[in-house]
Amino acid sequence: MRLISWLSITAIMLILSSCKKDKPEQDVVSATLSNGMLVLCEGLFQQNNSTVSWVNLANSTVANNLFENRVGRQLGDTGNDIQRYGNKIYIVVNASSTIEVLDATTFQSIQQIDMVNGSVAKQPRSIVFNGSNAYVSCYDGFVDVIDTSTLLVTQRIQVGANPEGMAIANNKLYVANSGGLNFPNVDSTLSVIDLSTSTELAKIAIGKNPSSVITDLQGEIYVINRGDYAAVPSSISRIDTQNDVVISTLAINATHITSMNSNFIIANYDYNTSASNVLLFDPLNETVINPNFISTAGITTLYGVQYDSFRNKIYIMDAMSFTNTGYINLFNSTGSPIEKFHVGLNPNKIIFYD
Amino acid sequence: MLRNTIILLFLPLISWGQKDTVQRISEVIVSEAIYIPKSTKSILTQKDIDELSANDVGELIQKISGANLKSYGSLGGLKTVSMRGLGTNHSSIVKDGFSILNSQTGQVNLGQIEVDNVVGIISSIGKRFKNSLPISAQVSGSNFLIKTFENTFTSDTLQVRANVKYASFNQQLAYLGVKYSPNRWLLSAFGRMRKSDGAYPYLLKNGSTFINSNRRNNAYQDYSFGATLGYRFKKGFWRLMYRNSSINQELPGAVIFYNATQDETLLTSKQSLSSDFQSFLRFLEYRFYADVNSGQLNYKDPTFLNSTGKIDAKYDNRSVTGGVTFSAKLNNNLILNGGVEEVISDLFSNDSTFAKPVRFHNFGLLGASYVLKKKLKIEVQVSSQYVQEKNNNGLSGKDRFRINPFISLETISKKKQRWKHQLWYRNSFRMPSFNELYYNNIGNNLLEPEDAHQFNYGLSVVPVQKKIEIYIRSNVYFNHVANKIVAIPTKNLFVWSMQNVGLVNIYGFEAILQVKWTLAKNWKLTSNANYSYQRTIDVTDANTPTYLHQIAYIPLHTVNFDFSVYYKTAGLRMSNYFVSKRYSLNENIVQNEIEGFLISDLSIFHTFKIAKKNQLKIQFSVKNIFNQQYAYIRNFVMPGRNYLLSLSYAFN
Repeated sequence: MRLISWLSITAIMLILSSCKKDKPEQDVVSATLSNGMLVLCEGLFQQNNSTVSWVNLANSTVANNLFENRVGRQLGDTGNDIQRYGNKIYIVVNASSTIEVLDATTFQSIQQIDMVNGSVAKQPRSIVFNGSNAYVSCYDGFVDVIDTSTLLVTQRIQVGANPEGMAIANNKLYVANSGGLNFPNVDSTLSVIDLSTSTELAKIAIGKNPSSVITDLQGEIYVINRGDYAAVPSSISRIDTQNDVVISTLAINATHITSMNSNFIIANYDYNTSASNVLLFDPLNETVINPNFISTAGITTLYGVQYDSFRNKIYIMDAMSFTNTGYINLFNSTGSPIEKFHVGLNPNKIIFYD
Repeated sequence: MLRNTIILLFLPLISWGQKDTVQRISEVIVSEAIYIPKSTKSILTQKDIDELSANDVGELIQKISGANLKSYGSLGGLKTVSMRGLGTNHSSIVKDGFSILNSQTGQVNLGQIEVDNVVGIISSIGKRFKNSLPISAQVSGSNFLIKTFENTFTSDTLQVRANVKYASFNQQLAYLGVKYSPNRWLLSAFGRMRKSDGAYPYLLKNGSTFINSNRRNNAYQDYSFGATLGYRFKKGFWRLMYRNSSINQELPGAVIFYNATQDETLLTSKQSLSSDFQSFLRFLEYRFYADVNSGQLNYKDPTFLNSTGKIDAKYDNRSVTGGVTFSAKLNNNLILNGGVEEVISDLFSNDSTFAKPVRFHNFGLLGASYVLKKKLKIEVQVSSQYVQEKNNNGLSGKDRFRINPFISLETISKKKQRWKHQLWYRNSFRMPSFNELYYNNIGNNLLEPEDAHQFNYGLSVVPVQKKIEIYIRSNVYFNHVANKIVAIPTKNLFVWSMQNVGLVNIYGFEAILQVKWTLAKNWKLTSNANYSYQRTIDVTDANTPTYLHQIAYIPLHTVNFDFSVYYKTAGLRMSNYFVSKRYSLNENIVQNEIEGFLISDLSIFHTFKIAKKNQLKIQFSVKNIFNQQYAYIRNFVMPGRNYLLSLSYAFN
């Protein structure tokens, strides 16, 4: 009996000792960031596994845990947006309901802004900047104004339901009210906010479930309407920012849109078929320059597209079916593939460093 | 929405199949059944159940070899079990002879099955324990059979069981069961309540820092009551059982870094009425059974960021079951068995966009067991299932008809020969649940059932049977799951989809050792140990990063090691449970690792005889004595060291 007990205990100890403790990843990134890119990896809801990867473009190496290595704690749950303004990086973390502010050069934490209103998480989604203010769309139906020097929320501007993307044109802030949490009864408006008075001037009726908002070089606003993923396909609304009216609705299926010089790269990922497509669009003439600008062969789940003006390169984010760590696919400006980088879970935004 | 979705996908709504088993099961449990060499059956006895002082049936079932518990919290937390790497929905839970059904999620929340009145738990994988089990349970991948005090016949005229418990985190429990058996009648009733504030402290690693906090929004309160009327014939019995339960709980959710605003709640209530009639004739045994179940679920999120500012979702899940089983002994070597069962279930929601599904599920089974030259027992079974789906608010799932075989070869031990070999193959499937088929845009009405193939070779042996009794059992198995139903999350919070995309191979091994040793007069020592190895790998697509990776949340190694020492009517039990590291997602990378854990509990107990037939038992338990900070599911933290004091009374 004693033998049996000892054998069992030994077996348990053996198994215990065989499970390796994960060592913290070494911070191999140079103290000041340059010639590379920060990639925000969203992670998955309830997993607290949103991360920031650093891709060194000089030697094509990737460090996947930059935030934790530099800040000492984790980023949190569901990082939705990362932007640089001045010498600060702002990361919008949706489920954790925080905004992390970091030094753009050293990536050391400056401040964590708590985005909780009483006992309700505001659930911030995206961020844009103007003058000395940052504007953060919050899922509770407000745009928060944050002073970029004090990093305090100075004002809350009420907009529509579950605002997503924003863009600034003609001294006005355009906010896409998705109403996504009322699905299938989604919103279909774009709030117009006067940046001088911080008041909502109008709500423009656009397509169903608007998300990304972008401006072209002539000051027009383009909004992706995601539709209902079924009978109502996605489309793009084009807005005249002088009169705040819809000029036209483009029958282009889109999930992502980004600027490349004066043009737009418009990407679409079809959730039902997992097929994706990337086209090149001229917003000054409203023409499709190339309907198959970049071949998406080899991309499993297109999750974002961005243009790097420092290097004149295009980057497509692959979320690898959303539950596997993703890739950044690098293309030249004519759409030919160059290489790809293995990053964290669900990469969705990039900041480029020259 | 996503939180709501997650709740719906994973929170089972149990229709209480709160009823009986067969009298003989209790006899087996109470006797020294653990020493009968059966290679595919595990038993927890009343003694185990008492000594383990578990919060619920989920915490007991994890002591069974091959069972993987997924626990989302302590008292009140969702607990589901998967057996041998097959999904949760492949296991059927049978309580007192009736299947516990939940057509909404297809899963039974073991955290909601109370343990105070449970007198035995049996798990069977290959060959079924009884031919009188519901046909729906006989055709499923594996069974867990739970037997309760109230629903078993007894020779004592009056039996009383009472229990009060007080435990850490202000946990309180009271239970009273009375069983009155004049002549051939059985009249029993029970009532029970428990509550806990659930605010246990935890320590969670966050980078190189730690979150040192208390669990929030985790209060729990429930009550249940029921009554049984029964009559024993010379060769059979009849029973009628009613049961009602209600649970009011807060949902703490995962610990989300930097955000402590969880405020969701869940109200669950269930009612059931069931009846069966069983007859044991010399050459024919048969059983008629029927039950009606109703369950209500009310999920509330008072601060959800939609236009109404809240979620108040209600779901009503009902089912009606009727069936008959038989077993006919044609001669000394040949037994035929079989039966039919029909289950009708439906679901209503206050959400106008939700489906209104009705399912008609018909089961048929025919089997034969033949003993060849007193050496080999050959069993063959064929089952059929016909499922009709009707959705009164949208597209319906397809009607389906399936035939599934089971075949088993088993050597027969002679008296002195205590070796037993068993070889079997079972083919089974599980239906997609209503949520998987219909839940708004997550559901996919084109889903096929998920198929499971199980191959098993088992060996059991009883080497010594004197002062020291030893029982050793081992199984090697290979399982294959095809058309595995997988939720594929998509870009934004609203579009998930269920797809039949998975292929999984499971290579398993288990070893069980039970020892009972009479040390000296009044001194006794018992030990139960089991080890389970489950290599459960994704074989869906060689071009994906998870190919040949271990499936999320299935540990490679699981060990249970318990030992008890008894002196007269006092005793001590040390219970150890170890699971190796797991992954929170199917990609086996360091970022997805969840550390393994070893949890040790210690109980001391003493039984006093206060008068003739009157017993009082006092038990004190320290759970998680080494204060391990651990989680079954990522960010669903479990309690550290905690204490429990229990006082129970038994008459007869």
